[in-house]
Amino acid sequence: MSGREFHPLVKQLLDGDITLADLPAELRPEGEEALQLLTAVDRSPVELPAVPQRVMWSLVREPKRALGRRLIARAWVLAPTLAAAAALVLLIGRPASVAPPAAAVVTVRFVLAAPGAHDVAVAGTFNQWDLHATPLVRTGDQGLWTATIALAPGQHQYAFVVDGVRWVPDPAAPAVDDGFGRRNSVLTL
Amino acid sequence: MRPGTDAADGDIVRAVLAGDRERYAQLVERYRDRYARYAARMLGSADAAEDAVQDAFVRAFDQLAQCKDPNKFVGWFFLILRNRCFAERRRNRTSAPLEAAEAVAAADRTDGGTETAERRRALQQALLELTPEQREVFVLKHVEGLSYGEIAERLSTSVPSLKMRMHRAYDKLREQLREHT
Repeated sequence: MSGREFHPLVKQLLDGDITLADLPAELRPEGEEALQLLTAVDRSPVELPAVPQRVMWSLVREPKRALGRRLIARAWVLAPTLAAAAALVLLIGRPASVAPPAAAVVTVRFVLAAPGAHDVAVAGTFNQWDLHATPLVRTGDQGLWTATIALAPGQHQYAFVVDGVRWVPDPAAPAVDDGFGRRNSVLTL
Repeated sequence: MRPGTDAADGDIVRAVLAGDRERYAQLVERYRDRYARYAARMLGSADAAEDAVQDAFVRAFDQLAQCKDPNKFVGWFFLILRNRCFAERRRNRTSAPLEAAEAVAAADRTDGGTETAERRRALQQALLELTPEQREVFVLKHVEGLSYGEIAERLSTSVPSLKMRMHRAYDKLREQLREHT
């Protein structure tokens, strides 16, 4: 035994086959050291609320899948809505008309009224439905959350994500069926 | 509630294969978190776990016709996720695991103080130094709480070989943690 390896009986202790009291007295310090190792095991849960959205969007956007033909242009939301939320999207500026078309972007301000929220983000086709890519910032004391981003012209689908788990469509914007009984907001620029 | 929300896995798989492919969403929603912790501990971060679980669901969709027993979809899905985790760790073997371990410790620092977080971080760091096979058996037994018999059934292997793997893992963890402290 090198001194770096646990005694076979201590390994049985770690396996749960015996208890500390079953060890000979001279092995108990080693047994206690071993059990200390297990107390550092991190069993806290890990939740992945964005996975359904990301999976289904991945299936939708890849044309090689026959599935895509039925779902194309229909993004996907799967979560409870926040009944009290009200939201709007404001176009607050467009690039000068002299800008070359390829570089044209539209500045869009997303606004969500969610006084009780701890954090808010907007997820959509423009950020691959990433919950962390576009957080909104609480503005003033009215419970308004805002984010201003530049988007390419075209059609974008999106939803607000409240506290990382609740997907909230924008009641002030047109919406499309997501194919799963819920609605995605649509922004056409 | 949508029709069939409480349907058995086998019924959903058969419906998807028969053309009602949108129902795959039910399986994703049902199992999105079940192996999230396993993937996070195998890969060292919740972000990596999210990518792995997403990829595994997409691969499972692509290969759904190969799911021989649709009633055991979740066990079949687990093996796809497992392969993804193993491939990821092999691919990133040269990357620094410390950052990933710190990410896990920071994200999960909810029920203890600095000392607990530090011990968790040290153990997660040591876990990432194990082979994927050793780490997996440790995670399944000591994080997920499965018995050797349950692990053997899930991985189609024997209890003695699992114990051998685990006992090597214990020694390596001890060595790693002693070097760390």
